[in-house]
Amino acid sequence: MTDDRDTAAMGFAGRVFRWLGSPTGRACLALALVLLVGFVFHADGAFYKAGTHRDALRQTSVYGILAAGMTLVIVTGGIDLAVGSVLALVSVCFATLTIHWGWSAWAAVPLALLIGALCGGASGLAVASWRVQPFIATLAMMALARGLAKYASGGMKVSTAVQEVDGAYRYVAVPAVFRAIDTRILGDNVPVVTAIFAVCFGLAWLALARHRWGRQLYAIGGNEEAARLSGLPVVGAKFAAYVASGLFAAVAGICQAAQEQQGDPEAGAGYELLAIAMVVVGGTSLMGGRGGLGLTLIGILTIGYLEKILSINAVPEAGRLMLTGVIILAAVLTQKRGR
Amino acid sequence: MKRMVCLAGLVAGWMVAGCGKPVEQAAPATPAAPRAAKATYTIGMSQCNLGEPWRVQMNADIKAAAEPHPELKVVFKDAQNDTLRQRAHVEEFVSAGVDLIIISPKEAQPLTEPVAKAYQSGIPVIVLDRAVLGDQYTCFIAADNRKIGKAAGEWIKQALGGKGKVVELKGLMTSTPGQDRHAGFLEGIAGSGIEVVFEADMKWLEPDARKEMESALARFDAIDLVYAHNDPGAHGAYLAAKAAGRDSSIRFVGIDALPQEGVAYVAQGILAASFQYPTGGQEAIATALQILKGEPVPKQIVLGSRLFTKASVAAGGEDLP
Amino acid sequence: MSFLMMHPAQTTSVLRMDGIGMRFGPVTVLDDVSFDLRAGEVHVLAGENGAGKSTLIKILAGVHRPCGGTMTLDGCAYAPAGPNDATHRGVAVVHQELSLIPAMSVADNLFLGCERTRGGWVDHASQHAAARRALAGIGLELDVTRAVESFPIGVRQMIEIGKALAHEARVLVMDEPTSALNAQEAEQLFALVALLKGRGCGLVYITHKMEEIERLADRITVLRDGRRVGTAPRAELPMERLVEWMVGREVGERFPRHAPHAGEELLRLTGFSVFSGGRSARPTVDGVSLTVRRGEIVGLGGLQGSGGSELMGGLFGAYGARTSGTAAVRGRAARFTAPRQAIRAGLAYVTNDRKASGLVLDQTIVFNATLADLPRLSPFGWRRPRAERAAAREATQPLQLRADSLDMSVGALSGGNQQKVVVAKWLRLGPDLLLLDEPTRGIDVGAKRELYSLLNAWTARGMGILMITSEMPELLAMSDRIVVLHRGRATATLTAAEATAERVLAAAMGQGGASRVTEATQS
Repeated sequence: MTDDRDTAAMGFAGRVFRWLGSPTGRACLALALVLLVGFVFHADGAFYKAGTHRDALRQTSVYGILAAGMTLVIVTGGIDLAVGSVLALVSVCFATLTIHWGWSAWAAVPLALLIGALCGGASGLAVASWRVQPFIATLAMMALARGLAKYASGGMKVSTAVQEVDGAYRYVAVPAVFRAIDTRILGDNVPVVTAIFAVCFGLAWLALARHRWGRQLYAIGGNEEAARLSGLPVVGAKFAAYVASGLFAAVAGICQAAQEQQGDPEAGAGYELLAIAMVVVGGTSLMGGRGGLGLTLIGILTIGYLEKILSINAVPEAGRLMLTGVIILAAVLTQKRGR
Repeated sequence: MKRMVCLAGLVAGWMVAGCGKPVEQAAPATPAAPRAAKATYTIGMSQCNLGEPWRVQMNADIKAAAEPHPELKVVFKDAQNDTLRQRAHVEEFVSAGVDLIIISPKEAQPLTEPVAKAYQSGIPVIVLDRAVLGDQYTCFIAADNRKIGKAAGEWIKQALGGKGKVVELKGLMTSTPGQDRHAGFLEGIAGSGIEVVFEADMKWLEPDARKEMESALARFDAIDLVYAHNDPGAHGAYLAAKAAGRDSSIRFVGIDALPQEGVAYVAQGILAASFQYPTGGQEAIATALQILKGEPVPKQIVLGSRLFTKASVAAGGEDLP
Repeated sequence: MSFLMMHPAQTTSVLRMDGIGMRFGPVTVLDDVSFDLRAGEVHVLAGENGAGKSTLIKILAGVHRPCGGTMTLDGCAYAPAGPNDATHRGVAVVHQELSLIPAMSVADNLFLGCERTRGGWVDHASQHAAARRALAGIGLELDVTRAVESFPIGVRQMIEIGKALAHEARVLVMDEPTSALNAQEAEQLFALVALLKGRGCGLVYITHKMEEIERLADRITVLRDGRRVGTAPRAELPMERLVEWMVGREVGERFPRHAPHAGEELLRLTGFSVFSGGRSARPTVDGVSLTVRRGEIVGLGGLQGSGGSELMGGLFGAYGARTSGTAAVRGRAARFTAPRQAIRAGLAYVTNDRKASGLVLDQTIVFNATLADLPRLSPFGWRRPRAERAAAREATQPLQLRADSLDMSVGALSGGNQQKVVVAKWLRLGPDLLLLDEPTRGIDVGAKRELYSLLNAWTARGMGILMITSEMPELLAMSDRIVVLHRGRATATLTAAEATAERVLAAAMGQGGASRVTEATQS
């Protein structure tokens, strides 16, 4: 895109200006604006405390994990509305396995991941093989997974209070794996959840930017027919994208359960929309074929920090919703300008 | 239009009458004659949604209360937060000829007429938790959120010795329970030195409560107590404080006291107190039995609340005055 | 406006553009270009892709605003504020890509954006009458309430022109109007051009087809690299000279086809049918038999929709299992049900629509050129960007791809260069059998000439080529053998010596060797 000679001639200011015109530059601009709001409204200095930023990252980690998986799907020109429900289903199952049945984490985590992958696989099968529109297929999975979550939990939260046959409650200890996930490492500085997010994000980035599969996803999103005629495994690659999204939702579900110390069948409602917003605010096109995880990371931070800043300033709910809407619209509009 | 005026009049009348004290009216002249004793009675239960654990608990309570009575058969329907579906459920109960309807309506206005029609067709109706307009029903059973909020405020005032810094995590402020628990609380702490330093809407959700609490912790070094409008909210706040290593210096108070939530948290020492918001399931079945036997019942029953603290949880809590 | 009825005065300029300049960022696309158009003339605007023709047209149509220069329309200053303004001033443009909305009716399309209303409501009766009148004016009589998509592509092109003229244009711009039309439909269009010309309308006509220039042009202006090379009446500009102006150098003969080097048999189709519309519908390719040998170019002739593209798609596995009959590649049975199998067997397929099915337009040249070769370039699944770049460079270099950098998005390239990227993608794989569907559609003379040379080089190396082209001279000159299709059936197989335009056309109309009754003429 940038021609070397041109760039040299333009000088520093010109280069900065050009960078601001690029998708990355625009996304960063939105993030910078949000951070600026934080510096102005710092809530008696709360914004300058390291703990605030640590918490902001921890809070946004679950969304971030969902958004990373969502990016893989959106790049193919699809969408996965089921992630919030899959998160709930996995959190319920994981809590049941570890709290009520006393399974070890080594058995419970793989099974939880498998459940997520199966849900994603079902969506993927419908979209890739049966050519159901992604919106419809994942909308169905969204309802199905939510129903399964309620069925598996009997509509109640799966907590450390276990009901016995006679109706009395027995209290069990919070499983070690919950404690392990909901703690901080590296000198008490990095929440484990954030580390999990970083790992998930890194994996997704590697897959999309450095693996053959990532190329296939971009090609499918950019021009599915051309991809097919170029001999790419279109069905398999698409299917795998939804499986990955389900897997990531399962990871998010485990993190959610660990942080809440329970499995909530109502958890994750609306998370799919937030994850989509993060991807889009970053600048990845909902039409597919354009964007990437670097952009999504900026989107995740933008929305995550926005929430945090509104929260420390105790802005009432109505104001928060309005501001969030305005920011999303503004971020997406600046990106449209570029084309 | 005419009907609207009528309704408004009825509501006003009922409010005037109901304002004083619990109305001890004689059993309404249910249009049907006293029914002959039957071998089995079918009760239709229309729940507005089963998305909240509290409502799942309500159904469970009804089921548990009906179990010792083999003559009762309870049919449950879940309207999934859809007013029109709930209306259809009531009509289905009427055409199925159930002996009694228990309804926990989603909204007052749209369900008033279906309930009135059922009532006029001779089926006794018990309205649970949320009200309908007018007086075309047999009995209304509910707890009083404002009263519970006030009790919580008074308990907190006492626990903190009349002064301290409190964080209030509010339920959805567009819902009446949220508004009442807030207003009652303010009433309860009125005149004391208690200062609400941070308040936020956590929409009844635990993850949101945790986030808001983290913000409060970041801003204020001294917080004495967290008052959350429900137990999951209080639990979320506790998790946030624990992560910040400040859980030992803060006390947490919640509302609802469901067995597997609030009561469990109190038993585990997480919450200092939880105020029960009773489902009324048990009372509904007791009242239903009275009605089916032809005994008079009051037009309105205000449920009492129970307080669970570390000291009283083992004994099943203590009655609030 | 009574203008259309006025008698054309041959000498007056309707439109003048003087010293037009245009820059996109640092790139100068037009530099001091002047152009004038007289009433009642067809002025051909010629030049290679990327010469600046489209930009000039867009300035004329009010899409872009020029950086310099002046325009006058009928002697008045003309600086359109936007496409709508241009339309109202009487400048109409028929774009290369059809701009009609397929599901809407003809009348609604004609009045899109300037609906005739009565009290805010669309006045359908008046619109229908006006639409019928407008179309009758160009010799088109059809049911204006029917959806546009229910008409064949040729009629749609005429409707497009009708739409442009619905606003009483004095200047009409046509950008490659025949690129999607068959011979018969093109004839209709030429008749319409003559009609409009007679009415005193000034026509700017862009085309890459020499036949059309020879036939239609009154004057010709040639652009190259954003500059005007010259303007001349057609009579004073022989073809060789014109091509030289466009390319900037001598091109040599137009079709440099050398002797074939026919070797072993690569492909044999026997009774091959394709059911692209589903098993229950009539087969689009019906029992075709043909062979392609190494070093040979076999041309597929036929009118639009005669089944050539479907034959290639079916052979390549693009229609899954919806084929029947036998196909053999190098003697081995080869009924492919997925493109991947065909690619593995040494086939490559350049489709007739590079934008829709050949390229990922948003992505870079490297991305597209390496797309089909991903498995080899990413051992164990992990990509190696540096190797990809080297591969892309290696593949595009012999094709003389003109691009600032290999990281340019393909969508920003000119048509000819885009086609080169598609070809580069397939050449990376070293295919034995190359299927080319309209490989020269929408690319300029110079690029066409380069492609012909490449075809020769490849066949000399032993590649076999099956090629569809709707340009008769190209088909006749480049093919060693020609198989003519008519409604999915092969009606004639002609050697290069036997083939003449008349014989191919006759077979294409259904009067070939099998001599079937003609039924091709209706769309």
